[in-house]
Amino acid sequence: MNSFAERFSTTSATAQMRIAQAAAADEEEFDGAMWGSDAGFGSLAKGVPSFSVPAVADPTSFLRLHTDDHADPNCRIKIKHGTTTLAFRFQGGVIVAVDSRATAGSYIASGTVKKVIEINPYLLGTMAGGAADCQYWETYLGMHCRLHELRNRERISVSAASKYLSNLVYGYKGMGLSMGTMICGWDKTGPAVFYVDSDGTRLKGDLFSVGSGSTHAYGVLDQGYRWDLTDEEAQELGRRSIYAAGHRDAYSGNTCNLYHVKEDGWKFIGNYDISQMHYDGPGDVPGAPGGGYGYDIRVEGRNSSNPPAVAAAA
Amino acid sequence: MASADGGAYSYSLTVFSPSGKLVQIEHALAAVSQGTTSLGIKASNGIVIATEKKTSSILIDDSMLDKVAVVCPNIGIVYSGMGPDFRVLIAKARKSAQSYWKIYGEYPPTRVLTQEIATVMQQATQSGGVRPYGVSLLVAGWDVNRGPTLYQVDPSGSFWAWKASAIGKNMVNAKTFLEKRYNDDISLEDAIHTALLTLKEGFEGQMTEKTIEIGVITVPSIAELEEGKIGGETGRPKPTFRKLSEEEVRDYLAL
Amino acid sequence: MSIMELNGGSVVAMVGKDCVAIASDLRLGNQALSVATNFQKIFPVTDRIYLGLPGLATDVTTLRERFRFRVNMYTIKEEREIEPETFAHLVSSTLYEHRFGPYYIEPVMAGLSKTPSGGVKPFIAATDLIGCLNFAKDFVVAGTASTKLYGVAEGLWEPDLEPEDLFETISQTLLNAVDRDAFSGWGCIVHVITKDKVITRTLKGRMD
Repeated sequence: MNSFAERFSTTSATAQMRIAQAAAADEEEFDGAMWGSDAGFGSLAKGVPSFSVPAVADPTSFLRLHTDDHADPNCRIKIKHGTTTLAFRFQGGVIVAVDSRATAGSYIASGTVKKVIEINPYLLGTMAGGAADCQYWETYLGMHCRLHELRNRERISVSAASKYLSNLVYGYKGMGLSMGTMICGWDKTGPAVFYVDSDGTRLKGDLFSVGSGSTHAYGVLDQGYRWDLTDEEAQELGRRSIYAAGHRDAYSGNTCNLYHVKEDGWKFIGNYDISQMHYDGPGDVPGAPGGGYGYDIRVEGRNSSNPPAVAAAA
Repeated sequence: MASADGGAYSYSLTVFSPSGKLVQIEHALAAVSQGTTSLGIKASNGIVIATEKKTSSILIDDSMLDKVAVVCPNIGIVYSGMGPDFRVLIAKARKSAQSYWKIYGEYPPTRVLTQEIATVMQQATQSGGVRPYGVSLLVAGWDVNRGPTLYQVDPSGSFWAWKASAIGKNMVNAKTFLEKRYNDDISLEDAIHTALLTLKEGFEGQMTEKTIEIGVITVPSIAELEEGKIGGETGRPKPTFRKLSEEEVRDYLAL
Repeated sequence: MSIMELNGGSVVAMVGKDCVAIASDLRLGNQALSVATNFQKIFPVTDRIYLGLPGLATDVTTLRERFRFRVNMYTIKEEREIEPETFAHLVSSTLYEHRFGPYYIEPVMAGLSKTPSGGVKPFIAATDLIGCLNFAKDFVVAGTASTKLYGVAEGLWEPDLEPEDLFETISQTLLNAVDRDAFSGWGCIVHVITKDKVITRTLKGRMD
C-alpha cells in the first residue's frame, strides 16, 4: 500500500495507531494519580490496547529496518529466538511440552522460563520467539476468551481463539512482532491444536513443534507418534522429544515442562531436568522406560568405545 | 697443474679437486692464518676471548677498530682473518639473534647461534658466484642450558667446542702454550692473564690497551638469575658478555 | 554469526601452590547444533606444559599440528625441552605471523617452569587470536564462555591452593560457567600439573 493511501485509510495498522495515539494524547490532561491507575487498567477500560509507535510517516517500514524481522538478521533490536516447544493431539487429548531456556546471544539468561502460557483452564498457549510478545498477546487473548464466554454463555472454541490471536498479530505485521505459538485446548470438537505465528500463519494440525530445537523434537516425535497412544505413552513421547532437543540444540535445554489437556481442562504433569533425564531418566513416572535417555548411558558397555567384557576379551 | 696458488681448481666456485679437497676453503684458511692471533679460554666461572689489534699505520685512529664484537647480551665473537668478512658475518649474526628473540622472547643459546653462523659460512662454500668467508671465529657465550661455552667456526662451516683455542698467525704456538697452561679449575682472572701471556708469545711491538682487545663472559649467580627471571629494575637480565674497557685492559696489562 | 562461536568451546587455566590447572569443555558444535561430546581442546606440549586451543575447530587441529612441529624442531635443534615462557612467546609469534588472516583460536597455556635454583614456578598465559600475550598471576580464560568464566573464577579463585583444592576450584568454575553458556558444556576435562605428576580427570557435566 502506498503511504498516501495508508495515511487516510481507516483500517490499516497505522490508522489504528493514529486513533490510539489521538486517544492517548487526550489523556495527557489527567493528573499523575490518574496516569498511575491508567497504567494498570488502561487497556481494559478502552478495550483496545494502544502502543506508541515511532513518530515517522511510515512506522512499519521504519520498524522493519530496525527490529528483528527474520528477513534481516543484522537489525538492531534483538529478540530471543532459541526454544523448543511441541504439542500434539492424540486419542487421550493434547500433550504440550516445552523447554525452559532463555538465551541472549550465547548467554543463558534463564533456565526456568515458563513457556506454556495458561490462557484459561481449557486453553494453553506455547511461547517461542519474543517472550514479551507471546506473554502479552496470549494474556490479552485470555481476556477476550473470557469476554466471549460472558457474551455467549459458552466457552470459546480453540479455532476461534487461535483465529482471534492470528488476526490480532496480523494487524501488526511488519512491525517487529515475533511469535510462534501453538494454541491448544479441548472444545466441543474434542482436542485441538492450532499453530499461529506473527507472520499471520494459522494452521490446524495434529502435531507441531516450534523453535530452534523443533527439528530435533520432530525426529523423536514423528518416530513415536500414533493417534492411539496411551496417556502415559503420549506424556513420555513429549518428554523424550524435548529431551532430544535440549540435548542437541544449544539454545534449548535446562528443564521440560509437560502439560496434558483433557476434556476437563489442562493439567500440569511435571517439570523434568533435562540433564537428569540424560543420566538417570525422568524418574519414577508413568511411561518412563527406566534409566537415562542419553546414548552413552543407554549403550553403556555395548558400544565401540566401551565394548562388552566378552567382546573386549575376544 | 696443482701448484701452490691452486692452479686449475682455483675457480671462484668451490669445486672438489680430484684428491677430494676444496682448494677454495684451503685458501680461505690460509687467509685466516695470515690474520692476527686471537684466542679464547674457558674458565670455571667465565670465558675470556682476546685478540691483538694491528694497524698498518700509526696515523689510523685505532679507537674505531673493533675486533671483539657483541652479538647479543650473552654472546660475543672474536675473529682472525679478513675484517670486512667478519663485519658481514657479525651483521648476520646480530640479525639472527634478534629474529630468535622475536620468536622466543629470549636470546639464542650459544650453540644455536654458532650453528646459524656456521650455516651461513657453509652456504658460501656451496653457492654459485660467492667465495668462502676468509675468517675463523671464536664464539663465547653463556646460556641457562649449557652454561659458558666457547666455539670455533672455520670458513668451511665446521665448528667445535673448546676449553681453550687460538686462531690466526701464531695459532700453533699459542695452542701449545695454552695446552701447557690450561687446567679445568682456572679462574676467570687467571684465564685473562693466561690469555695475555699467550698473546705476548710472538707479539710484534708493544702490548698496550690500544693493541689488545678483551671480551669476557661472566657466569651469573643463582641469586642473580632468580632476580633476572623476574625482570630486575630494567626488566632485562644483566648481560653476561661484555668487552673490557681500555682502562680495564691497561690494569690487567700492568699486573 | 561470529566465526569464533561457530564450534563453541571454552578453556580456563589457574595457578596454585607449586601447581597449575587447565580445563576445558568437550563440546563440538555447528552453530546451535551440538555434534560431538568428546572433542579435546587441550594438548600436552611437554610433560610440564599443556596448551588449550578454544575457537574454530579446524584451526584447533591445524594449530595443534603446527605447534607440535615447531616444538619438536626446537627440541631437536636446541637439545632441550622448551620452557613455558619460551613456548608462550612461540605461540604469540606464530599467531602474529597471521596478523591479516588469523587463526580463529585464543590459546591458553599452563605449565611449570624450572627456576635457576632447581625448583618449579607455576606459569599460565593466554593470547588473543593474533598473539597478544597476557601473563596472569591468578587465572586466564578463553572461549565462548570466557565472560562467564571471568565472573565465576573471580569469585572462587584464591592464592596458594594445593593441587586437590585447585582441582575443585577449576572444576566448579568451569562447570558453573558453561552452564550459563549455550555453546560450551557437554562434559569437561581437567588437568592438574604438579612437580611429579599430571592428574587428568573427566567431569560429568550438564548435557544440554
